[in-house]
Amino acid sequence: MIPDRVVEVLHGPAWMQIGTRDEALRPAHTFAVGAMVHADRQTVTVFVPTARSGRVLRDLRENGRIALGASLASHEAYQLKGTYVSSRPTDDADRARQDAYRAALLASALEAGYPEPIARPLALGFAYTPGVAITFRADEVFLQTPGPGAGTLLS
Amino acid sequence: MGILPDEIKPAMQGVIPSHVVTCARDGTPNASAISQVYYVDPDHVALSHQFFNKTKRNVAENPRAVAWVISPETFEAWDLELEFVRSETSGPVFEIMEMQIEAIASMVGMKGIFKLRAADIFRVTAVTKTVGERIPFAEIPGPR
Repeated sequence: MIPDRVVEVLHGPAWMQIGTRDEALRPAHTFAVGAMVHADRQTVTVFVPTARSGRVLRDLRENGRIALGASLASHEAYQLKGTYVSSRPTDDADRARQDAYRAALLASALEAGYPEPIARPLALGFAYTPGVAITFRADEVFLQTPGPGAGTLLS
Repeated sequence: MGILPDEIKPAMQGVIPSHVVTCARDGTPNASAISQVYYVDPDHVALSHQFFNKTKRNVAENPRAVAWVISPETFEAWDLELEFVRSETSGPVFEIMEMQIEAIASMVGMKGIFKLRAADIFRVTAVTKTVGERIPFAEIPGPR
């Protein structure tokens, strides 16, 4: 079960990245803009731009292994490692969630002290539509905040 | 002439954190933020090794990594495919990175936590400017 605090972070605003790998163990990366944790507290859906989804979806369909990193401007960070379940194009409800997510991401960046000329394009500049919703089951949750506790298995 | 274009250099100044994905021998990927991807020469970069973490362990098992860097000037981003070469704990690259990590730590309130243990040198095997990941700068809403 994903801990309460990690659910909060995933619901954002957080900077999120996805890691996958191919059959030769070559890693791939893409950004996620928004996420939601399902009622079972183990299944997660993340949203990635379609233009950046090709390689990670190919990897996920081949081997199912996914890592999702989520970090705040404060450097508080977590990582989920899990197994691919499904994907679909994002819909209006997803995009509404992403719009709110992006606005909150900008507010958090400004609050953290990022100058406006960096915070705004950084937070609002990630493409998010058209998008793909990737759903996976979280098998493990790790603390990733820099410091001596980084890497601790939380769940 | 090396593989890294000159235009990528601003993305390697540590202004905006970079990201790195590695993979363990058992096939489990790992996604992590990293303070800096440092430009060593047109064919090599150095990743800051600050903690004995999963990224470090994975690279020991499987030398392949991918790093994502973004320019704070143009907000263009690149994927770098990397292959681990060696770790350096002294010398000019280490010393410059150590100074820069200290500066980054001061700026982000992580002084005493961010400390460079090694400069991990990677050969760049491919560079791809990301397409479709960013909204064109002129189309980003609001004041700039």
